[in-house]
Amino acid sequence: MKTVDLKRLQIAANRLCFDMSEEEYQTLLNEFKTVVKQMELIAEDKTIDQYEPMVYPFPCDVTILREDEPIKPSSRDEILKNAKNKLAGQIKVKKVNG
Amino acid sequence: MNYLDLTIKEIHEALVNKKVTPLELVNEAIKRAKEDKCNAFEYIMEKEAIEMAKTLTEPEKDNLLWGIPFAIKDNISTKDVPTCASSDILKDYVPIYNATIIDKLLAKKAIPFAKVTLDELAMGGTGATGHLGKTTNPYNNERMVGGSSCGSAAVTASAIVPFALGSDTGDSIRKPASYAGLVGFKPTWGRISRYGLFPFTPSLDSLGFFTRSVYDSATILNAVAGYDMHDFTSSKEKVDDYTSDLDKSIKGVKIAVIKEILDTISDTNIQKKFQETLKIYQDLGATINYVSMDRHLLKTLFPTYYIISCAEATSNNANLDGVKFGLNLEGDTFNDSLIKTRSKGFSERIKRRFVIGSYSLMAENQNELYLRAIKNRHKIVDEINKILKDNDVIFLPASPSTAPKFDNKVDQLEDEYLIADNYMVIANFAGLPSLTLPVGFIDNLPFGFNLTAGAFKEKKLFNIAKALEDKSGFYNLSIRTKK
Repeated sequence: MKTVDLKRLQIAANRLCFDMSEEEYQTLLNEFKTVVKQMELIAEDKTIDQYEPMVYPFPCDVTILREDEPIKPSSRDEILKNAKNKLAGQIKVKKVNG
Repeated sequence: MNYLDLTIKEIHEALVNKKVTPLELVNEAIKRAKEDKCNAFEYIMEKEAIEMAKTLTEPEKDNLLWGIPFAIKDNISTKDVPTCASSDILKDYVPIYNATIIDKLLAKKAIPFAKVTLDELAMGGTGATGHLGKTTNPYNNERMVGGSSCGSAAVTASAIVPFALGSDTGDSIRKPASYAGLVGFKPTWGRISRYGLFPFTPSLDSLGFFTRSVYDSATILNAVAGYDMHDFTSSKEKVDDYTSDLDKSIKGVKIAVIKEILDTISDTNIQKKFQETLKIYQDLGATINYVSMDRHLLKTLFPTYYIISCAEATSNNANLDGVKFGLNLEGDTFNDSLIKTRSKGFSERIKRRFVIGSYSLMAENQNELYLRAIKNRHKIVDEINKILKDNDVIFLPASPSTAPKFDNKVDQLEDEYLIADNYMVIANFAGLPSLTLPVGFIDNLPFGFNLTAGAFKEKKLFNIAKALEDKSGFYNLSIRTKK
């Protein structure tokens, strides 16, 4: 695992599309130290790798195919009603490519 | 006495006998909501609730939820009603559909009355981190009511409504229930559809509810349990009648007490009450089995939860960017707008959680953090299921104390291993049904004990809880009916 430092935390935050103040990063760094220390407790358990990773508490029975049923989809206006910037029935955003 | 001071079952009798109408209940709820001193409301559905109540004129004798007003944690989607999960990032968001649980309650003609506060995006356990500030305990406004379902607990304990919906990822229903003297229930993972619940940690999240009696809790589960094609994690397991065995004898029931968790509770009043309660169960014919769980493993409960929940939360909230809904701040570029929106919309503590989650998921860190946490989850679940193989329920105090005071370090990560404060997450790891019920007061503050049963054993769980409720006399508690 890479050592946690302020720079790496800033990179992680920026990847998540937000920024934090210097003071906030410091709090985060301290919090990280606590998490890593507590996670070391699990590392001390030499049997841990015998366990399969558990994502869900029980298997999910996913039915891929089902009978077709007619449904009334939401209207375009309804779907767009929460967007702040709209143009011609589309969500308008700043140009991404030049 | 007002009819809102009663349980659902008792209000139903009054409605059927036309002693009160749904409209009178709603009007009284509005009056009480306006006197709220706990800061529990995001949005009071005054107009909507009155309109619906006016349409309910002929009581349905066999439908206990007919005309009953209820509150909704504000991370549950309600069509055409503002829903922001107590976060600025969802400013002005109005869902265009109802969560399945809301549709099921509407089908029963229960009346959605208000959207209530939570810890921001349901990430927290204090009730102090929502965008409106602290939600306080109705028994003492200087104390926490707990979280994340703080508003739901506060309005039920204030008898503004007889029940409220909440969500539970670590203990977000069951801990506030203890602090507020309520019955707080989370079902088996998948028993209630989560369609329309804002996801925090989908592998742990459950919808559930706060009531003032075990019977009411079982009644609501009857109405909302079942498979839902909109939620592929909802279960096709047969839905029981959860009220049918409530008064069955519990003779022969096996109750497990995990010694290592009980031993970490230092409050002598809680310990004394726990022993008295065990005696009640023994007198009713139950067998008490003290069982052991590795203390080292118990110390890993919180970091396991923290890593899993932060990792899932950072993924599930990546869509909160202000483009399609919620807060939207202008920037020079598309990316600049996203950064401004997300930097301002999320509070500092939410951002910290996201960074920790993202860091845990990075390829170079995953083995030591996320993967290790979900392997450890498996180990914990195996241990718990071993206990439940030989026992019907696990029984323990829901919290090591009554509601604590607020302090400045609200929801910062503790350096200590707080086993008794965090152990209820076991039910989320294993997807088990779990219920807290009130058992006493210390210095005028209520506290509760918790029962956890095997997967899909809700009927047994309610039966064992009701047996204690009947004997303890702690039934229908609120600040208006406090015994």
